[in-house]
Amino acid sequence: MTPKFPSANFRTWRLQIAAVIRLEMKKTFFAKRGLWVYLLALAPVLLFMGRAIDLMRTSETRQEMASAHPVSSEVLGKIRPSMNEDEPGMTIDDVIKKAGEPYARRAFYAGRGRRGRTQIVSMSYTDQQDDYTFTFVDGELVGVNRREHPNLQQDTLIFATVFQFFYLRLAIFFGCVGIFMNLFRGEMIDKSLHFYLLAPIRREVLLVGKYLAGLAATVVIFTTSTALQLWMLLLPYDASAYLHGAGWHHIFAYLGVTALACLGYGSVFLAAGLLVRNPIIPAATVLLWESANLFLPAALKKISVIFYLQSLCPVVAPPEKDMNPLLALLISSAEATRPAWAITGLVALTLVILVVASMRARKLEINYGTD
Amino acid sequence: MPAPPPIEQSLVVLEDISRFYGEVLGVNRVTLSIPPGITSLVGPNGSGKTTLMNLITGLVRPTRGSISVLGVAPTDPERLFRLLGYSTQFDSFPKGLTGFQFIYSFLRLFGYEHAECERLAWKSIERVNLVEPAKRKVAGYSKGMRQRIKLAQAIAHDPRVLVLDEPLNGLDPLVRAETIALFRELAAEGRHVIVSSHILHEVDMISDQVILMSNGYVVAEGKIQGVRDEISDQPMQVLIRCNRPAALASKVFDEASVVEARLHADGGGLLIKTRDANRFYRLLNHIALNGIEIESVAPVDDNVNSVYEYLIGGEESK
Amino acid sequence: MAVYKRTYKGYSGTLTPKWSRFLILPRYSYSRLFKSKFLLLFDLACLIYPLGCVAYIYLAHNLSFLRAFGARAGMLSVDADFFLTYCSFQGGMAYLMTAFVGPSLVSPDLANNALPLFLCRPFSRTEYVMGRMSVLLFLLSTVTWVPGLILFGVQWSLAGWQWARDNWWIAGALFIGSLIWIVVLSLIGMAMSAWVKWKVLAGTLIIAIFIAGAGFGAAINAVMRTRYGLLINLTQVIATVWRKLFRLSADTGIDLMNAWIALGVACAICLWLLTRKVRAFEVVK
Repeated sequence: MTPKFPSANFRTWRLQIAAVIRLEMKKTFFAKRGLWVYLLALAPVLLFMGRAIDLMRTSETRQEMASAHPVSSEVLGKIRPSMNEDEPGMTIDDVIKKAGEPYARRAFYAGRGRRGRTQIVSMSYTDQQDDYTFTFVDGELVGVNRREHPNLQQDTLIFATVFQFFYLRLAIFFGCVGIFMNLFRGEMIDKSLHFYLLAPIRREVLLVGKYLAGLAATVVIFTTSTALQLWMLLLPYDASAYLHGAGWHHIFAYLGVTALACLGYGSVFLAAGLLVRNPIIPAATVLLWESANLFLPAALKKISVIFYLQSLCPVVAPPEKDMNPLLALLISSAEATRPAWAITGLVALTLVILVVASMRARKLEINYGTD
Repeated sequence: MPAPPPIEQSLVVLEDISRFYGEVLGVNRVTLSIPPGITSLVGPNGSGKTTLMNLITGLVRPTRGSISVLGVAPTDPERLFRLLGYSTQFDSFPKGLTGFQFIYSFLRLFGYEHAECERLAWKSIERVNLVEPAKRKVAGYSKGMRQRIKLAQAIAHDPRVLVLDEPLNGLDPLVRAETIALFRELAAEGRHVIVSSHILHEVDMISDQVILMSNGYVVAEGKIQGVRDEISDQPMQVLIRCNRPAALASKVFDEASVVEARLHADGGGLLIKTRDANRFYRLLNHIALNGIEIESVAPVDDNVNSVYEYLIGGEESK
Repeated sequence: MAVYKRTYKGYSGTLTPKWSRFLILPRYSYSRLFKSKFLLLFDLACLIYPLGCVAYIYLAHNLSFLRAFGARAGMLSVDADFFLTYCSFQGGMAYLMTAFVGPSLVSPDLANNALPLFLCRPFSRTEYVMGRMSVLLFLLSTVTWVPGLILFGVQWSLAGWQWARDNWWIAGALFIGSLIWIVVLSLIGMAMSAWVKWKVLAGTLIIAIFIAGAGFGAAINAVMRTRYGLLINLTQVIATVWRKLFRLSADTGIDLMNAWIALGVACAICLWLLTRKVRAFEVVK
């Protein structure tokens, strides 16, 4: 019985796109060669998970210590080494008299030779907010180290920094390179692209199907990672106040930025795989351009995916503390774009790139040389 | 664009097709009209057979000229590949798929529903006798099985035109015979079956017409006997089995069109070379009436092998 | 031919030494690589910095030049710091060269199913890896320790025998430091080339290991409030080793022992990847 062909209309295109996505799912989601993309996505989750476990463990320990050795932050704040050379600093007994017994005490000797050995003692206190470590040399207080306990506000800044400087620029970037460039160029290497071109499917429809398959894979992998990272971030804290405030907005914003990053970078690398025989060159160019975005003048900043993505991030990442002062001078700021414009701009850019890619796809020929 | 004339809707038409890969010639000035039936593309390696097939199927675009497959241009894949199935020479497959999945998944690209795809997939798998291995990964198939699964994929959607690039490669003799029978069956249904092959005696057996190619040019095309008749610079060779070959030889030497007569090694036949086969056959009738018992008369070089040797073999030896 | 004739005899002539057969592989690799004009130009560009260093050394010993610019003798110093800077810069160029050359070593053999052709001969996997790796070892040597030792020689010739006696260890540091980096880069280049069949993706991975590794290391430091993240940053790790070899203070934030362990782990992972991928067969499940 000769099959009846469905008429070429939107319904057929929908079925064909679904068929392409189904075919690609196995290759993009479950291929061993894509393992490194999963590792890129999983790495920050493990990092925040490790931090969450560490925080929860130390928080319990700190509470126990604070209960066993209660002391107020006012008292601890007043214990200082002497600023005057002639005036002797506080002794160990003075500190113990004011603040009580420390929860941890370490003593060791340093130096040798004719000068003899110096005794160094460190005593640790906590007021449940901060950790104080007092250092004594030969019984005299010489230094105070105050270490703030992690708090949610600080951690949201840390997350913002990791998200914007590592996750967006590197993890999602390279993940998209690996998945989207494989869609056409990888098929040519595997010598299996001709099967698609021998099916009764428009090249543009094929391109859309492959793009959506890649997008589905990257969005699922990376938004899941973002969600897990956020969950790990909030786990050690009582986040109800945060969630009732700006918390959910932040969460959805980060998830949205992740998805938009996949959308934008995906289209760039799909097109690069089609247009250029050696796509590493455009990938390297885009990477350099995006990395240098911080230092570009305001007008040039706007010609990049990362600028719009950063505009959409709910928390501004502070510049790196250890950054070279010269580099810090070069960092220029530009007025952030409104979210609506940023999203529209990204989507428009994606569509333009896909249109250009589809024009190239129409002229695609099968010539499996040695790539 | 106006619809092509009705006759062209039953032909695969190539008009003045050329394809260059930079400075390297793929095919040059090829004009063909391929009717239904089994058409064999024959030629040495690098003669342009695969290029021609790729041009017909739109995998490469011609540098010049136009192609029409039953009235559809190769630049219209949506319509073309509903009519055409192509089994390529490439021995690579999408990773991780079983034989069944391979055929089923690409049938879904046609826009068919699940049930229809399953039915068509199993039907084509049964036709190539791969039912048992169908659930195994293609990567684990032998060469012959891979060849058959490609064929199954090409015929799964019941196309009117089949383009098969060396489909008998790697098949054992039994499977080869079954596949040839399949081609005959498909051709008998009025389809176009375009096959490229190096196995000349099989081409001889199955083809309704041949296209001989060399160095990117079509050297000859048509029914094999017609092609042979046109090679006037090579006298026809005829083997006559009779009871008195020496006597027959002395009689045929009187005939001007006979250029050579040689006794067969077994002593029971005579190999004749003649410039005019029809005249010679009339002469034989006369000789048979004069006491020489003729058992059989058969042209010896009226086949693809000989035509290939005359038209292409000579060029290669140069 | 009738069986009774049996005139076939195996080859009984001399064989080339077994240890040198792996050198057959690089022959064709070099000819293929140097067809690329880009690589040729890059190779030449890698020598610009060493030439600049030669000029610097000459000027440091040219009193009339120093006087003309009001500089005192000894102001332009050629010491361990100078050679460390040389090592760092050329090490960076070596990394880029690995990203260009590395992917073309094993990936094409995997993509075109050529590994069985090599390994079905009396040719082991180790010889195959050594043959391919020797290309990188040679090329990276030409941009690292070879010009470095030439620089040392130039400085020796201008500064005299006493300087060489006091600073002979710098030559050793140059050679050993460069060799360590070359081995690490070569293993990474080979491993990535073996892991993926596509040359371009292999090149991307080589670049990603360093850039994403450094980025993730910084993320670890920020999140965990530690400095152990630096151990994933291979450039910082090798800088620690170099600083120790050149007897300079190792203020990179990494302990020397940890740096060696990180390098060892990186090499071990690369060797494991090579063992998994360089095989004459593929198991299909």
